[in-house]
Amino acid sequence: MPASVQSAGAEPAQPAPRRRRFVLTPYFFVAPAVAIMALGLVYPVLQAFYLALYDWKVGTSLANAPFVGLAHFQRLLSDPDVMESLWVTLRFGFWTISLEMVLGIGLALLLERPIRGASFFRTVFILPLMISPVVVGLIWRYLFDARIGWINYYLGFIGIEPQVWLGDPQLAFFAIVVTDIWQWTPFIFIIVIAGLQALPSEVIEASRIDGANWWQQVFLVKLPMISSILVIALLMRLIDVFRALEVMYIMTGGGPGRSTELLSLHIYNRAFATQQLGYASAIAVLLILVVSAFSLLILRLGNPMRGKSNI
Amino acid sequence: MNKFAGTCVTAALAVALSMGTALASPYERFAGTTIVVSWPAMTHFAAAEKLVDEFTEETGIEVEFDTLQYLALRDRQLLEMSKPRGDYDVVSWVVMWKGEYVTKGLLTPLSQFFADPTLVDPDYDIDDIADAYLQNGGVVGGEKGYLAGKSGALYGIPFGAETSFLAYREDIFAEQGLEPPRTYDELLVVLDRLKAAGIPAMTSRGATGHQVTAAWLMHLAPLGGRIFDEAWNPTFNDTAGVKAAEVLREVVRTGPVGIPAFGLGEASAAFLQGDAAMYLDTIKIAAQVRDPNLSRVDGLVGYALHPVGDRCGAETGGFALGIPANSQNQQAAFLFIQYMTSKLGDQRIVELGGDPIRMSTLEANVGNFAEYQTVLEQLPCADADWRPLIPEYNELNVDILGQALTEIITTDSPIQPIMDAAVEKARAMMERAGYYAWNDYRAAAN
Repeated sequence: MPASVQSAGAEPAQPAPRRRRFVLTPYFFVAPAVAIMALGLVYPVLQAFYLALYDWKVGTSLANAPFVGLAHFQRLLSDPDVMESLWVTLRFGFWTISLEMVLGIGLALLLERPIRGASFFRTVFILPLMISPVVVGLIWRYLFDARIGWINYYLGFIGIEPQVWLGDPQLAFFAIVVTDIWQWTPFIFIIVIAGLQALPSEVIEASRIDGANWWQQVFLVKLPMISSILVIALLMRLIDVFRALEVMYIMTGGGPGRSTELLSLHIYNRAFATQQLGYASAIAVLLILVVSAFSLLILRLGNPMRGKSNI
Repeated sequence: MNKFAGTCVTAALAVALSMGTALASPYERFAGTTIVVSWPAMTHFAAAEKLVDEFTEETGIEVEFDTLQYLALRDRQLLEMSKPRGDYDVVSWVVMWKGEYVTKGLLTPLSQFFADPTLVDPDYDIDDIADAYLQNGGVVGGEKGYLAGKSGALYGIPFGAETSFLAYREDIFAEQGLEPPRTYDELLVVLDRLKAAGIPAMTSRGATGHQVTAAWLMHLAPLGGRIFDEAWNPTFNDTAGVKAAEVLREVVRTGPVGIPAFGLGEASAAFLQGDAAMYLDTIKIAAQVRDPNLSRVDGLVGYALHPVGDRCGAETGGFALGIPANSQNQQAAFLFIQYMTSKLGDQRIVELGGDPIRMSTLEANVGNFAEYQTVLEQLPCADADWRPLIPEYNELNVDILGQALTEIITTDSPIQPIMDAAVEKARAMMERAGYYAWNDYRAAAN
């Protein structure tokens, strides 16, 4: 009897487990990217952490800077100025990102349809995205200028007194939110419209035949199908908000008070205006941690890599 | 014969060389040198740049400029001056940075050049430079660390220096039957009178940070206040400090719309465009008033002394020129500074639209410029100690006072608690910087 033939009732023979072979080739392919990331990302982050351990001032030698250990991290946790800037950043992020998402998606839904002049409008809407943040800051600084700005000029026609847009804490915050929305809504618009146009027309057509109205098509078909794209857009805007600096630097310098001082601007001011490079590095490390936490949260809640999306 | 000929040739060469030495320009050894100057984009410096061709023609030294907005200079200069070999040979600093630069060893003292007879022009006459300007812009040391004294030394020559005075609209004052205020009490009355007449009274800086602090300091010194006492205790929450803040709040209340967002440029523009009846700040406004590209009020402006409070006092500020310790062309850099701030250079810059630093230039041009007589009268009151130019000044200026004063001018909150909180922050900063180290040591020893 061949050995392979077993008697009735015997356990079927399990195939011998195959030893997994370690394949080196893929690692060679990713090695350059890892090396570049290590140089361009990991090293600066480690360097920031290293600097945060010293009380170093610009214009002096790091070798002579006193080592302070984790004192800067301890200090920043009870520093009301850091916490205020973090709070400003979170509020700024909430208002700008949520409004930009709503407006960007809305505009994309309006302009995805074949209307006359759609390409002209698309071009116009993405213009702000092409302007340097420094120029954006200058443009809006003068638009909001209390004395010579167009905004006060036109408000005057409807009987509204001139407002000190950039000199009042609440109004200045509103001004930077408006400016950011103006500049970055097109980014959401471009991404969303690209996603919408890539949707398979059969699915949309099928939903229409099934009797879905426009709202149902949008909320039950189109947006769920581009959810991965929306998550990526959200993530990119979130990271941008935490990096934003130039526009606020030009428009308000972070003032009045700290009302428009985002954490990134606070770091800049600590590093260069008040010369506390070590402390500024500690705040930068905090910033990295906050951004990473938010990014992980977003990816966890709507991970585009999970394959739920059809795009 | 050959030996004789050789001797003759050698002798002739020696004579020629010695004659050449006797007749040579003191600049000759610098011909072909290029120096790099870091200075601000401002009217005075733009005027000075027009002199560079003359300087190069006379000395053979080429000059390149790295021109930046004035508050952006410091970051750039610090980075350049902290390298082993810097790119800058001459730097122009805002006077409030001098203490920091010297403490960090970034500047070279100028005495070594003034003591070198091959470099210093015997006609230079440093005593002719306005004393308050020289102390404020160029001297580091002394008892306080930023003024003249036995341990003081000269690191820079003022250039584009300034004091303050009152510029006012003669037409508006005549219309309203007002006289330019001579005291702070009169100033407060005039502010209210103009406001009541529907005229924005006085423009001012007010933007968070350096600008609003400068505006408050403008009133602090004449009202008898100081930021620190002799033992470096912050005292700006005293009566004078609070009074100066009240004055600033009143200026904002009665002035043109937008002061809390005004930097120097916006504050000046409000006056130059006819949106304010008074301007109490740098004397540089006078040159701008005359500039048809900037001003709508030329011919309508009068000048008066900075109003007096408990004492007469006017700001001292602006810029100074010095030489980085890591400059590779220090002597050529000194020649440039000497040329620009010489009597001839000072006069030429005035003709080109800049501001003089020399008393002789001011006196010689009283008939040519309406404001010079007032400046001459104001200079004895110009206070080189109206703000403490210690290395920590920038943090105090931007982060502590600059925040507290914004709260004062943008809210109706009581002033005293805001100033008290700012004093506590200032004390913590001074503690961290070691200003009380010796006090603590002595106290522990006793």
